[in-house]
Amino acid sequence: MSSMLKLTSGLLAAGLLCACAPASRVILLPEASGKPTAVEVKTVMASQLLSTPYQTASVSKSGALALGTTDPQVVQERYGRLIAQKPAPDEQFLLYFEPGGSQLTAASLEVLPTIVARALARQGGEIIVVAHTDRVGSVSANDALSLHRAKTVRELFVVQGFKPDLVDAAGRGERAPVVATDDEVAEPQNRRAEIIVR
Amino acid sequence: MRATRVFFYTLLLLSSACGAQDQRLGTFKSITGEVNVAQAGTMRTAETGGGLQSVDRVLTGRDASATFMLKDGTVVSVGPNSTLELAKVQFDTTTQDGSLMLNLLQGTIRVVTGWLAKLHPEQVMVNTPTSVVGVRGTDFIVEVP
Repeated sequence: MSSMLKLTSGLLAAGLLCACAPASRVILLPEASGKPTAVEVKTVMASQLLSTPYQTASVSKSGALALGTTDPQVVQERYGRLIAQKPAPDEQFLLYFEPGGSQLTAASLEVLPTIVARALARQGGEIIVVAHTDRVGSVSANDALSLHRAKTVRELFVVQGFKPDLVDAAGRGERAPVVATDDEVAEPQNRRAEIIVR
Repeated sequence: MRATRVFFYTLLLLSSACGAQDQRLGTFKSITGEVNVAQAGTMRTAETGGGLQSVDRVLTGRDASATFMLKDGTVVSVGPNSTLELAKVQFDTTTQDGSLMLNLLQGTIRVVTGWLAKLHPEQVMVNTPTSVVGVRGTDFIVEVP
């Protein structure tokens, strides 16, 4: 009789375990700036939007969705290590080019060693070079020119001894000007490279 | 003369699109414990500063964890006992288009999304064996216990 009871309670426990261990779980975390945020969780059976920080969605094996809420303390206990792993915020620098080519201004050249030092101070530190043009020339020619500028600057970091794999060069052409101009207008402030150290 | 210049830059653009540097989709920022990366039958040990390529699988052991940053600034932290696949990840850094599809087969990840999710949220998703998480914000946890 007592073994029968044990068996029954064992089955009951197994059943409960199944019911409370979802096949997957999603937790929405708050935005740093308190801005609105959301994720949408979809299964074969249902779809739900999580739009309040610490809202959770539990998905069963069959695809049933159950919404719930958690709090910062529980998240810290369960996922503390994941939360702690966020890298330090990006650092940004601006470099300018002499008119008409990929030569940096003297003032910008002086900043390069600082940028390398900042990147080396980070674990797995990277330097991202994002170069831009003004609106003189066609969109495709400016894409190519901006990439040439980015690669020229990238090479300067490599020459300074920074690992090539960890310097990325991107050209964004004329599509992201600092100063909005009509097409075919020369604008020195738009001939720039944004450097992101991360 | 102008045409020659355009041609030259076009060549540069093409050669860069095929260059090894552009195959790197992300970089490991921190590693704790035993973390491996599997790709087409080969396995390598993950290290800080090391790169991630398309269809790489990140595997973390017991008590292990890893954080990597993708090209668009997305930060993914992978918890212990996890298997995460970079299923369909590509970035065009010129136009800022691309796609970011991660498959979480097992374990836990925390994702803080970057410029792709801001500009093209419909291109960013995390799949688990039972669900698809679409991104409308930036910071969330997905767990497959």
